[in-house]
Amino acid sequence: MADYVLRRILALIPVFFFVTVVVFMIVHLVPGDPIDNLVRIGVTPEQKALIAARYGLDQPLYLQYWRWLTLVLQGDFGSAIVLRRPVMDLIRENIGYSLTLGGLALCFSALVGITTGAIAAAWRNTLVDKSIMGVVLLGSTVPAFWLGLLLILLFAVTLGWLPVSGAKHWTALILPVVTVGLGGMALVARVTRVSMMDIGRQDFVTLLHAKGVPAWAVQVRHVLRHALIPVVTLLSLRIGLIVGGSVTVEYVFARPGIGSLLIRALGQRDYPVVQGCLLMLAMAVMIGTLLGDLVQAAMDPRQREESR
Amino acid sequence: MTHSTSRLKLALLSATLACGVALAPLSAAVAASEAVFVFPNSHNGAPTLNPVKTTLDTLAHELIYDRLIEQDADQTYHPHLAESWESSPDGMLWTFKLRQGVTFHDGEPFNAKTIAWWIPKFAGTDNDYLVAAVDKVEIVDDYTVRFVMKHPDANLLYNLASGFMGVPSPKAYEAAGDTYGVTVAVGTGPYKLDHFTTGVETLLIRNEDYKWGSELAANRGKAHIEKLLLREIVDEAASYLELKTGGVDMVVDVPNALLSQYKSVKDVETKALPSYGIFYMPINTSAEPFTDLKVRKATALAVNQEEIVSRLYRGVGKPAHTFLISSLPESKINPQFEIRHDLRQANQLLDEAGWKKGPNGIREKDGKPLTVKLWTQGDTEFKRMTEVIQAQLKAIGMNGEIGVFDVSSIRDQYKKNQHQLAVRSYGWNNADILDWFLSAERQGYPNVSMWKDPKGEELRKAALTGSKTTEERIANFKIYHEYVLSQYPVVPIYEPDRTLAYNKTRLTVPEKIRGPKFTAASIIDTKVND
Repeated sequence: MADYVLRRILALIPVFFFVTVVVFMIVHLVPGDPIDNLVRIGVTPEQKALIAARYGLDQPLYLQYWRWLTLVLQGDFGSAIVLRRPVMDLIRENIGYSLTLGGLALCFSALVGITTGAIAAAWRNTLVDKSIMGVVLLGSTVPAFWLGLLLILLFAVTLGWLPVSGAKHWTALILPVVTVGLGGMALVARVTRVSMMDIGRQDFVTLLHAKGVPAWAVQVRHVLRHALIPVVTLLSLRIGLIVGGSVTVEYVFARPGIGSLLIRALGQRDYPVVQGCLLMLAMAVMIGTLLGDLVQAAMDPRQREESR
Repeated sequence: MTHSTSRLKLALLSATLACGVALAPLSAAVAASEAVFVFPNSHNGAPTLNPVKTTLDTLAHELIYDRLIEQDADQTYHPHLAESWESSPDGMLWTFKLRQGVTFHDGEPFNAKTIAWWIPKFAGTDNDYLVAAVDKVEIVDDYTVRFVMKHPDANLLYNLASGFMGVPSPKAYEAAGDTYGVTVAVGTGPYKLDHFTTGVETLLIRNEDYKWGSELAANRGKAHIEKLLLREIVDEAASYLELKTGGVDMVVDVPNALLSQYKSVKDVETKALPSYGIFYMPINTSAEPFTDLKVRKATALAVNQEEIVSRLYRGVGKPAHTFLISSLPESKINPQFEIRHDLRQANQLLDEAGWKKGPNGIREKDGKPLTVKLWTQGDTEFKRMTEVIQAQLKAIGMNGEIGVFDVSSIRDQYKKNQHQLAVRSYGWNNADILDWFLSAERQGYPNVSMWKDPKGEELRKAALTGSKTTEERIANFKIYHEYVLSQYPVVPIYEPDRTLAYNKTRLTVPEKIRGPKFTAASIIDTKVND
């Protein structure tokens, strides 16, 4: 297993460097100039050129990339051009909000998804199953930002139960968590249902029924337990989306977080912040995928063998 | 079965009601002596509350710091931390008498030493141009300072009244070092900083010792509101819903597109703020067919400003016939230079320029149709206005092909000089905006008109740097302004009203808003209702 872990980690190194090139090029190929967002009325072209030079924006792209990569390898994402602060400080200030939202959304997806999937499998082809699968279909197809707006209109404006936006109180988390979590919940519910139905057709289940084990006990203690293996794999692969899965939702609910920071920095073409946030999101996906692979390998030794 | 179903329904209903009852108070507005305001969108994302180094001054800066001088909505100047001032006839010396008995939030006294320390702090910052003309500050006595100038600066009072010129506490500033403005911000203003998170919120606590309010406020003492939470909400619809549901008490800058929705909400009152900007159409004077003055003039006269105000904005705001906001004295030019709709003359000018109407109503010259690029940015308001302009240009036989870009991308496109017409806007209350958008040194962006005119350059320099006094500066800028309009590099379109919306059951806002924006003077007069 240690061999496998080491090989998987080493495989991430070239991926990391490739990601840094892609992130840097994407940001610099988009038209726009951060200095235009920085200077105010009255600044002369000479002063503007000096500001650009101060941030190294007058240098060739490959030199700018090299300077940025050197900083990143030292754990420093540089200083924001428009926001005027170390990018690490800005990320540190915002990441807690994104992790809370993403983490709770993942928990919501897992708990509600497994429960509804199990219920749908237990009452398959009934009205209960069809209703749950209808919600699942809705959750997996409705865009998150639109769903967010609908939830705001219902629970904040019409019923007045929850705040429209912000991050002042724990109640402000409910609607964003549901909005982000519904997509994942739909996926988990479908996988749980299919998996439970597959396991339910196996011989040992028939044997358990023949032995007189109560039906609920067969479903919960035996079928669900076995059916959870692909669900756990799926959830571990979604760990990487905890940080980056709520970019638009943070905007809709006016919540602070990496997504809000990224959108603001993109509008201002604040290159170091955009690069820092994108790299952060990419690294979260890489680490999440690694964790997912490791969990899967831990549960299924065949995978470790196959990768040799 | 029936009983159990009923019990289940009852349990669900009870649980729902319990949730509602439990959550409802949490989404209600704050306690009586507190208020929650939503920042104007243009103030969002300010990284620091350090007035010397920030590139974005916000409502929070206005409330934490006082300035030497305040500017009113009519662009007149009024004493604040400076009780009076005078300049020498040659504009080389400015003497300021400072107010006595003023203290910073940290208890430090405000006096002449503060100013002598403060002005040099701007050196090397992005804001140094504000006091670049000041050579040195001399202390005449404990409450009198003299600015010795490198050269006359007729814009000095405007600069001193700017939001960037709030005076920080020297002791707190030096002690905090680079973290000043992020973790600490200490001024003499009506509010003290409690905490500040970029992009999220700023919480301010009333300065209980405050008794030096400016004459723009009716209340010269401490503010009525004890705690003020300033929230940053980027999404305009979210701000509207927050005010509607009582999550906030005031939205400071309401977008015109949502004004009717705000007005329809029970308990919400709207109030017009002084106008602060102009929508306009730059004409690329270096691109055919606009190298021809007659075509530029025809294009300008095709724009019907009155129709845009009445149809697009339902009468809210004013038609713009000059490039400067109407409260500036430099906008009061000879009416013959004002740009006003005249369809007959516009058609006549195009005929004279050789552009003849084709069978489809679009003009042609040498077999080429009069089709031009008409660019704008992606916001709804800009797109709607551009569509109206497109229709108005069609009336003179000009076919405008609309191109839409995001704000940052469009600036890059202007620099490539591939545009012809554009619909843009600016927010600024000083005549030097003419220099910013029309200086030959800034062609591409911000001089989207690509205007380079020897006489214009001469008049621009005379207005910008050749004026010794305020009166002289106004006169010089008027001449420059008139010349600009006579050459049609820009077409003024619309001077929007800015509006604030507030919950009238929660707040009482002063009848007249003083200052060029909604500033400290109006906020310390605002009361939370019992």
